[in-house]
Amino acid sequence: MQLETTRFGTVDYDDQSVITFTQPIIGFQEFRRYIFVDGPEGSNLVWLQSTDSGELAFILMDPRKVIPEYDFKLGQHELSELAVTVVDELDIYTLVVVPDDPTKVRTNLKAPILVNPKQRLAKQTILDKSSYPVQFVLSQAKAGANESEEVDSCSS
Amino acid sequence: MLVLTRRENESIMIGDDIEVKLLDVKDKQVKLGVMAPRHVAVHRLEVYEAIQAENRHAAAPTKMPDISSILPG
Repeated sequence: MQLETTRFGTVDYDDQSVITFTQPIIGFQEFRRYIFVDGPEGSNLVWLQSTDSGELAFILMDPRKVIPEYDFKLGQHELSELAVTVVDELDIYTLVVVPDDPTKVRTNLKAPILVNPKQRLAKQTILDKSSYPVQFVLSQAKAGANESEEVDSCSS
Repeated sequence: MLVLTRRENESIMIGDDIEVKLLDVKDKQVKLGVMAPRHVAVHRLEVYEAIQAENRHAAAPTKMPDISSILPG
């Protein structure tokens, strides 16, 4: 299959590689089918390109590269919706937002993208019970890595 | 907007399979119980709206950033 995209030109893809969202990315109800497009090597980033629209793509990252303890539980119905029995069978990604100021690149820890890589199923879930933020600035994690977690309290 | 008055432990039905029950009223807060089929996602509106807005930012036309430098490891 061939897809004209605004970011990558013409992309060739296999029907088997298409990921179908059981619940669409919130706000993008009409787009259910996506493929992965590699990000820069060694960057931990990957593109999620819609096959329904060549203009629609998201940048995903593995949040555990920044927050190794990132973790959550899923209800039984969400697991079965994605055709798995435990969370460990899923690949976990979060959406990356790139503002004009590159030091403010952020990711949404509150609503991760869950992917069953074997069945090619995915959904965006909302972690209602967790306190993970919708906007987590990545440079905070690096600042916090060597210091305490109180990144806001650096005075004098 | 349909407006209904309910007391504690009274419910409304939305369609055939969604029940919203008023569980508790205290000061200016009400506690609601929602019974809905599994495929119906139920969220607080402000959380849903915040995520929708952030998703739109995430979909904005952009080039892949060179953020490898600010990603640990």
